[in-house]
Amino acid sequence: MEAICAEGLTKHYGTTRALEALDLRVAPGEVYGYLGPNGAGKTTTIRLLLGLHRPTSGRAALFGTDAWRDPVAAHRRVAYVAGEPFLWPSLTSAETFEFLARVRGSVDEPYRRELVERFRVDPDKKVRALSKGNRQKVQLVAAFASRAELLILDEPTAGLDPLMEVAFRETVHEAKERGQTIFLSSHILSEVEAVCDRVGILRGGRLVDEGTLEQLRHLSAHTVEVTFDGPVPRLPELAGVDVAPAGESALRLEVSGPLRPLLAALAELPVVALTSREPSLEEIFLHHYDVSDGRVGG
Amino acid sequence: MGASAASAQLAPEHVRARSPHGAAAAIGRRAFADGRVRTFSFATLLAFIAYVNVSGYAHSFPTLHDRLTFVRSFGDDASVRLFYGQPYDLLHVGGYVAWRVGGTGALFAAAWGVLAAVRALRAEEDAGRWELLLAGAVRRRDAYLAALAGIGAGWLVLWAGLWLGCVGGGLAAGGSAYFALAALTPALAFAGIGALASQLAPSRRVALELGMVALAVFFVLRVVADTSSGAGWLRWATPLGWAEEARAFADPRPLVLLAPLAATAALLWAAGAIALRRDVGSGLLREHDRRAPRTRLLSSPTAQALRGERGSLIGWLVGVGFFAFVIGVISTTFQTARLSESIRRELARFGASLLTPSGILGFYFLFFMLAISLFACAQVVAARREEAGQQLETLLSLPLGRRRWLAGRLAIAIGGSAALALLAALLAWAGARSQGAHVSLADMLGAGANCLPTVLLFLGLSVLALGAWPRATTGIAYGLVSLAFVWQLFGSALGAPSWLLGVSPFHHVGLVPAQQFKALGAVLMCALAAVALVAAFALFERRDLTGE
Repeated sequence: MEAICAEGLTKHYGTTRALEALDLRVAPGEVYGYLGPNGAGKTTTIRLLLGLHRPTSGRAALFGTDAWRDPVAAHRRVAYVAGEPFLWPSLTSAETFEFLARVRGSVDEPYRRELVERFRVDPDKKVRALSKGNRQKVQLVAAFASRAELLILDEPTAGLDPLMEVAFRETVHEAKERGQTIFLSSHILSEVEAVCDRVGILRGGRLVDEGTLEQLRHLSAHTVEVTFDGPVPRLPELAGVDVAPAGESALRLEVSGPLRPLLAALAELPVVALTSREPSLEEIFLHHYDVSDGRVGG
Repeated sequence: MGASAASAQLAPEHVRARSPHGAAAAIGRRAFADGRVRTFSFATLLAFIAYVNVSGYAHSFPTLHDRLTFVRSFGDDASVRLFYGQPYDLLHVGGYVAWRVGGTGALFAAAWGVLAAVRALRAEEDAGRWELLLAGAVRRRDAYLAALAGIGAGWLVLWAGLWLGCVGGGLAAGGSAYFALAALTPALAFAGIGALASQLAPSRRVALELGMVALAVFFVLRVVADTSSGAGWLRWATPLGWAEEARAFADPRPLVLLAPLAATAALLWAAGAIALRRDVGSGLLREHDRRAPRTRLLSSPTAQALRGERGSLIGWLVGVGFFAFVIGVISTTFQTARLSESIRRELARFGASLLTPSGILGFYFLFFMLAISLFACAQVVAARREEAGQQLETLLSLPLGRRRWLAGRLAIAIGGSAALALLAALLAWAGARSQGAHVSLADMLGAGANCLPTVLLFLGLSVLALGAWPRATTGIAYGLVSLAFVWQLFGSALGAPSWLLGVSPFHHVGLVPAQQFKALGAVLMCALAAVALVAAFALFERRDLTGE
């Protein structure tokens, strides 16, 4: 049974179409990266998955349980880190851990102690006096220490410093090794690239692309950079190849589809250097957002 | 290269400077706009109450004889002075209105002042918005003065409301202007206190608590001054007393108003001096940000909510208990002078004879009914705040149902209300007994229990608001209670027909122990409350969680 299953999940707020017909499946043990710019519908998706907001149509289930119909049963296996780390200002970090653990009903205390060390949380400090990043750490420690089967994380590293970002990745890897499922909403591409097995790209409330990084790369263009001996010669028109100048004697080519016709054409020309690389996630992402048009979808 | 030359190069042509005072003006407008609902509601209420009392006076006390009798009996009674203060001239409509409207008006104006100042200064700082403003092109001093100007504009609205009510009822424009000024000077002085509390306290909540404690102390001083013989000089020790000593419509003494003005100026100056020196985001009183964990009352969301509301609950218990005892004590002091027929009619409007201790107690328990209803509403508002602050989102992502969370919040509201009603009953009884009055404990417990159906009804309606219109919860909850109460007190003076008076739940309660318990009204209110609660739960379970 899938950890997360959404079918035709749709949410409209008045006239705003926040999410349109989302179909999503996340298998147990998978780390799923949910990418999209601000306002694409990431937080809406999470609120629908958790049953905090009511779907306009469609359904969502966590381990087969509809979280809108039966939130208590669905949430027993889930831990959530909210995008905005609002906690109870008058409680200290330690009191917050205690409170959340009691409401949940279970906690791995030794692991929590380890995480408190790792994330350098000051347990005796009141939440009121914590910066945003430090409040985020409190949420992360509480969520991971629950050892829940599914972790739903909404932009969890916003406000974390690079050291804590490393600690976060380490903790995600640990969770993955234990077989926990992670749904990671983010717009930090390097983070998603580093920890996720599969990626979904959301644009204007629609899932526009989904797959493993390899699959996404395969579908997208390769970047080939060619340097010539002398000025750039004329290249024949080739289907599926976009050409852009990259200095006086070099070209950057975006190739979608097979490389062979291009290589054949280049063989006739005075090439001194040639590099080819797979697209980074950033390029895949930007490709979907039509940045050349200055448009960010939806 | 000068700074202006550099910025001229950095910023393109179309980036024009707005007016140099733009930032300060915007801050002032913001401060005014933030409190506008409260300000305009209160101003409307002041206008209404003033109007009703002006036009009702001639109707209730047509002859000089009526008025003289009223002065000798009702106006001189300690239990009446407790709330309304010291009367100076009850033989003329102006003096009567100054006493009847001015006393309570000054008290609520003082509360408005604290709220307005804390809202404009400390709440903004708490939310981090003040920092944002000060990072702009505005000096600290100008930002502070602009916020004060916003509060001042709100005060002018109150003044205009009270003045219009008086003039609309037929009082002289000049005298009304002076009266409105005098009655509302406490709002200025307490805005000063709120401003100072905002500098001392490290958070909005503590600032409000400091301000409200100051208000309680100054109110008690006024009560002692007005109800104890030989303690009249104490009036000079409290801004609420200064408003009385201005003696509007009786023996106007404008120079007295220099006292609140000087106090306001001094308080605002002191607050401003601190505001200019301290770090943004902190208060002069340091709060301990670190402590060893205290794990009591963390076992459930309800326990944790109780932990959060503990301070406020204790405050309510102390306040209600104190006044219940005082009212018990003075319930025996009524002067049983001869009353004219028209005064009997006036008193009959309250539905009870005010001539006996149980009559006084029955009448005043109407106020406890109001106070406890407000407490219940405050609990719903606190629940709403947990939702608006998104803590509820974190809670409900745990294995916790919405119904259980809301039921826990309701349990605190109902339990707290019952505790307040019981305490009011016990202490009022103890106070009355200490003066040898013949009031039975059972009767007083009945008076306490009699508060609860009304409280439940307003609680139900507030929760219904939370379920249906979450963002309007606060306004609906407090608004309904206040309107219903004011309508009950003054609706009849407007000559409203009885079916229209009957829309206020307060109209359907028997003033126990003076009157019979009205079972039908109580049952109806409980039934309505139950319907409202069922609907509220259904709505709350079906809607999206809603932020600010």
